[in-house]
Amino acid sequence: METIRAESQAGAAAARRTRRRGWRSELQAILYVVPFLIPFAVFYLWPVLRGAWMSLHVWGIQGMEKYVGLDNYGKLLRNPDFYKYLWHSFSFVLLCTPTVIVLGLLLALIVHQKIWVRTFIRSAFFLPYVLSVSVISFIWLHLFDPKNGPVNALLRLFGSSGEVNWLTDKHFVWWAITIATDWWTVGFVMVLFLAGLQEIPADHYEAAKIDGAGAWSRFRHITLPGLSRVTKIQIFYQIIASLKLFGQVQIMTGGGPGDATNTMIRYIYVTGFKKDMFGLASAQSILFCVIMLLFAAIQFKLTDRKDG
Amino acid sequence: MNKWVLNVIAALLALLFIFPLLWMLLVSLKPDGTSVYSLADWVRWSDLNTDNYVKVVRDSEILRWTWNSLVIGVLTTVIAILFSSLAAFSFSKLPFRTRGLFYIVIVSGLLIPTEAILIPLYETTLHLKLIDNIWAIILPGLTNPIGVLLLKQFMDGVPRDYIEAAQIDGSRNFGLWWRVCLPLTKSAMVSVGIFYFILSWNNFLWPYLSITSAENMILSAGLPTFLSNNTMSLNMIMTASAIAAIPTIVVFILLQRHIVQGVSMSGIKG
Repeated sequence: METIRAESQAGAAAARRTRRRGWRSELQAILYVVPFLIPFAVFYLWPVLRGAWMSLHVWGIQGMEKYVGLDNYGKLLRNPDFYKYLWHSFSFVLLCTPTVIVLGLLLALIVHQKIWVRTFIRSAFFLPYVLSVSVISFIWLHLFDPKNGPVNALLRLFGSSGEVNWLTDKHFVWWAITIATDWWTVGFVMVLFLAGLQEIPADHYEAAKIDGAGAWSRFRHITLPGLSRVTKIQIFYQIIASLKLFGQVQIMTGGGPGDATNTMIRYIYVTGFKKDMFGLASAQSILFCVIMLLFAAIQFKLTDRKDG
Repeated sequence: MNKWVLNVIAALLALLFIFPLLWMLLVSLKPDGTSVYSLADWVRWSDLNTDNYVKVVRDSEILRWTWNSLVIGVLTTVIAILFSSLAAFSFSKLPFRTRGLFYIVIVSGLLIPTEAILIPLYETTLHLKLIDNIWAIILPGLTNPIGVLLLKQFMDGVPRDYIEAAQIDGSRNFGLWWRVCLPLTKSAMVSVGIFYFILSWNNFLWPYLSITSAENMILSAGLPTFLSNNTMSLNMIMTASAIAAIPTIVVFILLQRHIVQGVSMSGIKG
C-alpha cells in the first residue's frame, strides 16, 4: 500500500516536471513561428476579419459611418450588375482555363520530344511568364491595334478583311484578353506538365510499344492517366487565377467596351477606390471569396473521390 | 520525316511566341514616329537607334522605379524566406502540442487571395500610416504561406541522425536550424526565393493602390500611370515596356534552370 502511494507520488512529480519542461519547449517552438506570424496576423488575418466587420457598415474613405447589418449584402444581391460582373469573371474562366491547359499540354508534349534546340524552344514558351502584367498588357494592347497592329496585318496576309476591332468590339474583346493571357501564362502550365511527364516511367511506353500500341493509344492510356494529378492541380490553379483577372482588363480595355470586360475584382476596385464605398466593396469581396472557397471545396471533393 | 515536321512546328511556334517581344524591341529602336508595319520595316535596320531610350529615361522616373522594384523584391524575398524557414523548422523538427493549430492557421492563408481583402488591407495600411511607403508592399508580401509549406517538406527530409548528432554536439534549437537545417535546404530556398522574387517584381494591383507618389512607385504599377496620362507615341510606349522587360529577360536567361525548377516545384507541391 505504502509503496504504491510512494510510487504514484513519484510519478506525479515526474509528470509535473515533464509538464513544466513541455510548457517551456512549447513556448520555444512557438517563438520560431512568431516572426512569420506577426506580419501574417497584421496583413492577412486581421484584414480578413476586418473585412467581414466592414461589410456590415456604411464605410467611406474617412471611416465608419453607421452599422447597417446585412443591408450591403441585400443591396448587392438585388443589383443586376453584381450578377453581370460575376458572370464576366466566370466566362473568362470558361475561355481561359481550357485553352491554356490544352495549349500548355501541347507545348509540353512537343518540348518533351527530342527536338532541335530544345532548351531554346522551351525558353521561348516560358519567357512571357516572367514579364509583369503591365508589360504584357501594353504589348498586346498595341498588337491588337485595329489599324496598325500586327495581329490584323497578319490576318490580312491570310486574306481576311483585317477589320477586327479586337478591343472595342464586345464579340472579340474576351478572345483578345484570353489570347494575351494564354500567351503570358501558358509557359507556367507547360513547365508543370513537363515535370509530370518526367515522372511517367519510360518502360511503360516500351511495354506498350511491344504490345503494338500506336502513338495515340499510348497517349490515351499512358500519358493522360500519368498526368491526371498534375492536370487536377492545374485546373484548380487556373480557375482561381482566372477569377482574379484584373491587370489585363484594367490596362487593355478599362473594363470596356461599355462594361463588357468589367470583372469582379475590377468591380470591387471601382466600388471601393473610385466610389469610396468601402463597406459595400467589402461585402462584394466577402461574397466573391465565399464563391471561390465553394469552388475550391467542390473541386477538392471531386478529386478526392477519384483518388480514393 | 515525322520528326522533321515536329521540328518545324516547334520552331514556328517558338517564333510566334517571341514575336511580340521582338516587335516591342524593334518598335522601340525605330525613330520616334515611325511605324513597323510591312516586312520592309522589319528588315531595314539602318535607322535603328537608342534615342527613344535616352528620352524615356530622361523624361520619366523609370530607372528609379526599376531600383524600387529591385529593392522591394530583394527585401521581400530575403525576409520572407528567412521567416518561412524558421517557421518551417519549428513545424518540422520541434514537436509541440499546438503545432497543428498554428499550422492550419498559416496554411489557411492559401485560401483567400490578396485581391479579396484589398479594402480592409488598404484600411489597415492607412491606419499604420504606411500608404505610399515601400513597406506597404513588403510587409503584405511576407504573408505568403507557400514558403512555409515547401520548406517544411524539405526539412522533413533532413535525416533524424543529423539532428541527433548535432544535439549530442551540444546544439540547441537555434543551432539545429542554423547549422543543420538551413544549409541542407539551401537549394530549396533558392528555388522558392526565385519564385517569391518573380511574384514581387510582377505584383501589380496592390502597389497600384498603395503607392501614390511617383518617387515610391514600382515598375509594374508605374508603367500604366506613366503611359496612360500621356499622348505618347507607340515607339515611346514600347521603349518604356522594353526597359521594364529587359532586366527580367536577362535575369531569366541567366538563371533559367533555377527559375523553371522553382516555378514547377512551387506549382506542383503548392
